[in-house]
Amino acid sequence: MKFIRNLLFIAIAFTLTTCDNFFEYSVYVASVKSEQKNTTAKNLALLKDITISSQDFKFAFVTDVHYSYNNLRTVIEDINKNDDILFVVFGGDIADQALLKEFEIFYDIMKNLNKPYFTVIGNHDYNSNGSIIYNDMFGDFNYSFVFNNNKFVLFDDIIWESGKDPDFDWLADNLSDNLNYNQVFSFAHIPTYVSRDLTPEMIETYQSLMEDNNVSLSLHGHTHSYFYEEGDVDYLIVPSLKDPVYATVQIKDKDFNVELIEL
Amino acid sequence: MKNKSIYLLVLLVLLFSKSYGQEVNLDKEKAWYVPDYAKVQFAGNIGFVSLGVGYQLFNKVLYSELLYGYVPESASKADRIHLLTIKNTFPIYRKEIGKDLIITPIAGFTTSYEIGTNSFTTLPEIYPEGYYVPNAFHFTVFGGALLHKDFKNKKIFSGVDFYVEASTVETYLWYTITSSEVKVNDVFSASIGFNFYF
Repeated sequence: MKFIRNLLFIAIAFTLTTCDNFFEYSVYVASVKSEQKNTTAKNLALLKDITISSQDFKFAFVTDVHYSYNNLRTVIEDINKNDDILFVVFGGDIADQALLKEFEIFYDIMKNLNKPYFTVIGNHDYNSNGSIIYNDMFGDFNYSFVFNNNKFVLFDDIIWESGKDPDFDWLADNLSDNLNYNQVFSFAHIPTYVSRDLTPEMIETYQSLMEDNNVSLSLHGHTHSYFYEEGDVDYLIVPSLKDPVYATVQIKDKDFNVELIEL
Repeated sequence: MKNKSIYLLVLLVLLFSKSYGQEVNLDKEKAWYVPDYAKVQFAGNIGFVSLGVGYQLFNKVLYSELLYGYVPESASKADRIHLLTIKNTFPIYRKEIGKDLIITPIAGFTTSYEIGTNSFTTLPEIYPEGYYVPNAFHFTVFGGALLHKDFKNKKIFSGVDFYVEASTVETYLWYTITSSEVKVNDVFSASIGFNFYF
């Protein structure tokens, strides 16, 4: 029995030296660390501290990391060097298999960014327990914020993985006060162009909402390729991080200018 | 889903009967299918706790085990997770360090199958072909050390192993190899366990 007792002591001593990921139970767990929770709310608080004197500013749009972590870091470092860029929006597919480990790697790389960032959920992020992890780590799937009298609307348009239709009522409601702002920008992972994931009815509904509410630009990821469509509403699809690439949007009063940056 | 699990169990039983058929009659006191030991493990990406039975094969060159792993809601922070695992441990060498006490460096790999809603083996019909890669199977690789103690006066068990391992999952290993942003200590974690010999 003495032997068993000694073993138990060893086991307990071993356990007491644990750090965060000392024991892991399954790839599918959703146990988000407390310091990694509510990231969207924390970034919104950071954004409030940023004040600028002119109407002109830039934001960056990065999307679809999957597991191209080195390229994400390269892009983040480039954005850090550019003081004109005030914040970053990430267009979804934070994870590839929607594993907590992948969300944690993304979170850790984004800690290097020296400005606030906001995410929309991608289809890959919804799988397994991904939607639980996303909700804990970032927050709401649909949300909007105002910066410098411009409105930014971040919309969850994932259908197959979520098993539900996009909440177009929420979108209509959040776009309805568009006349109060200089410009409105909309973000959703799945685009209404190139991709055929959304039904024709959904595409029609989304694009009508954009037009009826004076949205300047609708930004997307998902297809992993570049696309730009000009019109009353412009549509932009930014390629995935398979290559180190991102877009910047320069906002000038009632106008804007998109630039694709390939590193 | 239920059918899938039954098929899998039958398959595993068949596989086991085949590989262990050659062990028949080696030990006259024990039928070939009677396991050599029972196992309990904590952590290691095959469950919060996993329980099962093991066989010492090819003159103790390979320890092969069939395990059921469970993660309760309190640990998963989501639904309960159920896993079926085949674990293969290779003892590298044996060194006697005391009376009836042997230390053995070990290495091996596991194959886990998730029974439940977190994963799939065939892509659901809603998706275009090749939209996702099946994610119900995961593999881990591990290395560690095992202490074996023989009990001379057998009461319930004739001996016990205690082991400590560091392990990682194939996906994590791939990320740490392909990306300098993912450090080795981000992807390796610990597990401990006991084998109780009959």
